[in-house]
Amino acid sequence: MRMQCLDTKFFTSTSLVPMQLPSRMETHLWYVKPNEVKSEQLLNKYLEFLPKSEKEHVFSMRGDELRKGALLARALVRTTIARYQINQVSPRSLKFRKNIHGKPEVDWQQIEDWHPQQLHFNISHTESLVACGVTTHNPIGIDIEEKERKIKHSISSFAKRYFSQQEVQLLSSISDPEIQRQEFIKLWTLKEAYVKALGRGFSGSPFKTFTIRSAAASKESIHLSESSSFENSDIVVESLEDSTNHTGDWQFALLELAGSHYAAICSRKDCANIGSHPMKIGVWRTIPLVEDEYVSGTNSVIAVGGLM
Amino acid sequence: MASVTASSVSFAFLSAPTKQSQGLARGLVSLPVKAKSFGPLKLRNAPLRFRVSCAAKPETVEKVCEIVKKQLALPPTTEVSGESKFAALGADSLDTVEIVMGLEEEFGISVEEESAQTIATVQDAADLIEKLCEKKE
Repeated sequence: MRMQCLDTKFFTSTSLVPMQLPSRMETHLWYVKPNEVKSEQLLNKYLEFLPKSEKEHVFSMRGDELRKGALLARALVRTTIARYQINQVSPRSLKFRKNIHGKPEVDWQQIEDWHPQQLHFNISHTESLVACGVTTHNPIGIDIEEKERKIKHSISSFAKRYFSQQEVQLLSSISDPEIQRQEFIKLWTLKEAYVKALGRGFSGSPFKTFTIRSAAASKESIHLSESSSFENSDIVVESLEDSTNHTGDWQFALLELAGSHYAAICSRKDCANIGSHPMKIGVWRTIPLVEDEYVSGTNSVIAVGGLM
Repeated sequence: MASVTASSVSFAFLSAPTKQSQGLARGLVSLPVKAKSFGPLKLRNAPLRFRVSCAAKPETVEKVCEIVKKQLALPPTTEVSGESKFAALGADSLDTVEIVMGLEEEFGISVEEESAQTIATVQDAADLIEKLCEKKE
């Protein structure tokens, strides 16, 4: 469904199309591409949503592109959450706080007489795409990375420094450097998404202490089949520390987004999800206040793994 | 409505950067943004710092600036100093861990995750490096 504001000169928060909250078993993902947002008037409108502290943060970024990206990230999260609570909050009235580990969350207490369903969100951004994931009742973490992202170090030395032994073995078993790089990026986004979903911070869940792999790959087998290690299979996490980590509680999805990015989503499995069904994801490309396009089922959203 | 003043919320300078607006931006960067935007997170994670006695040597700060510039592929004219925040320079989480790795390689140290998480500025990194180097000796 394509919604377009007929007169784009007048952007008001009432031009946000109200949305139903995702069900307990669903995840919603909203993304905006900075290069699709060109109107200065629109950017100024987004700026009006931000409190002083967030404005200062935006202006502390060095350079126009970084400032724009920071602004879009805040505009995206505020407008996205406001869509689901359209009679109770506006993008401007939302207040945020951080949990004790630093994970951002909505501060609902600031809104009188309002007891919303447990809305969870997480954002991630790269230079060319900003995304916000939303769930109800279950924590979520997302991470987005450009498919073409290159790192400065060798994949092997980076993995040895930060990843688990199993993951190092898997990556080193890939002989094609380009495929190795792609698998590395996918693994990075999945690990980041998991840590962000847990909400304990980078040091609360050190990367070396858990392995993410395809359910199909066994502990012993370190050889890849011809295709990606995560393609068309469930994605699981294993803790290398003690077993109190309830790693079975977490589900993953890996997508190719907008032809240009890998997006990893991690959320806690809902207790009602007894059959262990894969994540149901609805994806929207948006220009907040201007245009929303549901892109699930199109070329903009290609499932890689975890959605079987 | 395209005025560029200290209290303006206009984004005019986005498309038409002038000397004045660059100065404005730079002024805002080195302002107490540090104090305002970090709040409880920084207080919780970082020990209180008495900069006068424990600040890292200028050479260490300089070396960190070099590593950061290289990692983020910043144009050589970019001003990077002790106060520069990695995030403000455009570092995402992948860049930050690569920077930490670069610092470990350069200085022969090992940075724990807890410490890595507290590094927000070049100065933070330089101070940590010197602390870890002292421990080695």
